[in-house]
Amino acid sequence: MHFEGHETINAPIEAVWAFFMDPNRVAECAPGYQSMEVLSPTHFKPKVGVGIGVVKATFTLDVELDELREPEHVLVKAHGVAAGSAVDIHGGADMKASSPTITEMDWKADVNVSGTIASVGARLMESTARKLTARFFECVREKVETPR
Amino acid sequence: MATTEIGGMGHSVKRKEDPRFIRGKGNYVDDIKLPGMLYMDIVRSPYAHAKILNIDASKALALPGVVAVITGKDLDAYKLAWMPTLMSDTQMVLPVDRVVYQAQEVAAVIATERYIAADAITLIDVEYEPLPPVVDPFKALEPGSPLVRPDHADRPTNHIWHWESGDKARTDDIFSKADVVVKENIYIPRIHVSSIETCGCVASFDKINGKLTVWMTTQAPHAIRTVFSLVTAASAVGQIPEHKIRIISPDIGGGFGGKVPVYPGYVIATAASVLTGVPIKWIEDRSENLQADSFARDYHITAEVAADKKGKIHALRVKTLADHGAADAAANPSKFPAGLFNVITGSYEIEAAHIEVDGVYTNKPPGGVAYRCSFRVTEAVHAIERMVDVLAQKLEMDPADVRMKNFIPPEKFPYKTATGWEYDSGNYPAALKKAMEKIGYAQLRREQARKRAKGELMGIGICTFTEIVGAGPSHTFDILGIKMFDSAEIRVHPTGSAIVRIGVQSQGQGHETTFAQIVAEELGLPVENITVEHGDTDTAPYGLGTYASRSTPTAGAATAMAARKIRDKAKLLAAHLLEASPDDLEWVDYKFQVKGTPSKSKTMAELAFAAYTNHPLGMEAGLEAISYYDPPNLTFPFGAYICVVDIDRGTGAIKIRRFVAVDDCGNIINPMIVEGQIHGGLTMGMAPALYEGIFYDENGNIQQGTFMDYLLPTSMETPAWETDKTVTPSPHHPLGAKGVGESATVGATPAVTNAVVDALSHLGVTNIDIPITPWKVYQILQEHGLTEV
Repeated sequence: MHFEGHETINAPIEAVWAFFMDPNRVAECAPGYQSMEVLSPTHFKPKVGVGIGVVKATFTLDVELDELREPEHVLVKAHGVAAGSAVDIHGGADMKASSPTITEMDWKADVNVSGTIASVGARLMESTARKLTARFFECVREKVETPR
Repeated sequence: MATTEIGGMGHSVKRKEDPRFIRGKGNYVDDIKLPGMLYMDIVRSPYAHAKILNIDASKALALPGVVAVITGKDLDAYKLAWMPTLMSDTQMVLPVDRVVYQAQEVAAVIATERYIAADAITLIDVEYEPLPPVVDPFKALEPGSPLVRPDHADRPTNHIWHWESGDKARTDDIFSKADVVVKENIYIPRIHVSSIETCGCVASFDKINGKLTVWMTTQAPHAIRTVFSLVTAASAVGQIPEHKIRIISPDIGGGFGGKVPVYPGYVIATAASVLTGVPIKWIEDRSENLQADSFARDYHITAEVAADKKGKIHALRVKTLADHGAADAAANPSKFPAGLFNVITGSYEIEAAHIEVDGVYTNKPPGGVAYRCSFRVTEAVHAIERMVDVLAQKLEMDPADVRMKNFIPPEKFPYKTATGWEYDSGNYPAALKKAMEKIGYAQLRREQARKRAKGELMGIGICTFTEIVGAGPSHTFDILGIKMFDSAEIRVHPTGSAIVRIGVQSQGQGHETTFAQIVAEELGLPVENITVEHGDTDTAPYGLGTYASRSTPTAGAATAMAARKIRDKAKLLAAHLLEASPDDLEWVDYKFQVKGTPSKSKTMAELAFAAYTNHPLGMEAGLEAISYYDPPNLTFPFGAYICVVDIDRGTGAIKIRRFVAVDDCGNIINPMIVEGQIHGGLTMGMAPALYEGIFYDENGNIQQGTFMDYLLPTSMETPAWETDKTVTPSPHHPLGAKGVGESATVGATPAVTNAVVDALSHLGVTNIDIPITPWKVYQILQEHGLTEV
């Protein structure tokens, strides 16, 4: 599955970048987030619960950030396993400041899901993913646009 | 003629097995509970193709109640990580380093409770390195395709085998001169038998006396016993001699071919019990059954018909790609890799035919089983019955006329087909005429013309199939060299009741009733006094099991032959008691009587008593016999089906308005059971035409992994079947019977498909790949601007 989108965030690009570089803050917005092991600033292992239709699974993800060019570009590679299911994500984001207080972000992600989640939840997967993505960015905006 | 009291051939005797089933007193594998029994569950692969880098079972083993975790490496130490398939291929029991299809078994957990085992499989961390899968058999043959089976070092390709049949030169010659040639690509997708009971076993190895007992959901217990003995001989466990193996196939909740193969779960549970001496139960869940057990069909067929302008077919040319998934694990005990697919000339007199099939590996679960069909006969019948319609459409002829013009004439039986089969008997025009009269064919065609003029969509589909069943003659069929005879043993007790033990095994077919009826007919003992037993290898005579509509043609014949041996001895007893020469006796009204003197007669019950109390000097006591019957030929049931559909232009929804099925399975033992078989078969044959199909995404994820997406028909989708029959006995079967279990499944799919295509044929539609969903129909209507709000 391929996903991409454009988000306008009412915050300075530095603040947006700082947010995305802090796994604990990102995690607060990740739907179904349970816990995380941080191995390095660019390598962490969150546990995330996902429910698609009647299928529920807890994924242990292995996330690595790559090609970091502060404050505008980052690639994300993630691999996750759950009982009977697996997910591989290749994604990235490009940001630019359209004004000192507004950040424009283009992101994309290729997601390969295997196993029970893919076979049982196939028909609901894409719509569920879109819903979760929308909820994630709503949360991001809320956190970044409100000065800490 | 049999009397109701006897209940022999032709009587709708109520099924002797039903009282226990309708009271919930059946005894299925999952009902078996042994002291100290442990439970097994299986970790399955989320990937269609991946390397296994590591399996960490520590968390599972720490869970209280978990006794052991078994991996491929553990089995490999005993040379049990691989097992043979029925087609002389190999298949992993548990993988040592790679998985080749999604839902493949990766590791097994043994625990004290079923629920603990289920919890524990989620705690096993398997580290995979995903590899690119290949799911399309055409792509699998391209250079550079991922290799599904690198273990076959001698065969660095996904191509498994090539098989051809018929006369290529003559076929090509006729094609080059033909007036008319029609060609169509026809795909018959994967489907799944989805029997109510899933697969499972209880394996119990007694370390004291070295005896292995396995209760197993199998359609062929004796064959399994032999295979288990041979497999253990080749393993580091050491051979378990065959007399120390007992396979029990108790009540089985539907087989349909899906319970012929040996699945890894059986082997793991059995190996675990042999190694520990503890009984182990494994019962798969519904999703495992649907996602991992053997599929059926998956044939990509390209068929061509050469004909003249009057609609006479002269030659048939077929090329097929057979997608076998990750192993050739077809349940096909014939000598041909594509089974009986070359029966594709069907009910028609065709001068020449050439059939080619190529087997291909892909990263999908292995198969394919013959789902209620004799080893690819469903695929063959679907293709030829579609092609006859395609030809009729091309020539603007009525498909019924084209069939009548091409039928093998009744006087030409026994008939040898262009691919070498000898059909035993048939009367195809009679069956089609009967079906046409019953449904009012001519009126329906007139109605269709009127409706078309108004823009309404209605279709009439015909299928006049010939089945090929009763495997089988030992020259053509064997399982690992074991010839496909079948057997029956009858013991008549002193007071005139009897026990019959048969080598075939029932999964719901009603053997306990029909085999008792055969004995009742042959011996004149009332059907209620006859017990039929099957499925226990310690007591039943050796047999090859029930599938491919073979029970009546083989074990049914053996039962009649054994009964006749008993009758022969009974005649000598009667001669002794009546003080007459055996030559002066005749068998009339289920009694031996002195010719022309009904007052001097003896019933079988009287003779049975004499066999133990008053047998003549020099004669052995007792009244029993055994027969192993190797049929001289297969039997060829046939039928004519006509289906009428109406299509909703607003939604593309297809409604079956009427369906008439005229079947001919030769002489009938129990008409009620035959009708039940036909009703079930029609429903199972309609389903792939309209609902069922298993497809995979490009990563090898199954898209129909639950009954939400794999649509089994319910009573809501099932029309009121209208059945009828003609009777053309088999000339070589002792009872003149032919077998019926599959006929309707084979015939219904093309009848429904032809009806839907017929409804749209005026739009130029010549074929729609099954399942024909409302969405496919709607898209066709949309292309032609015919949708209606």
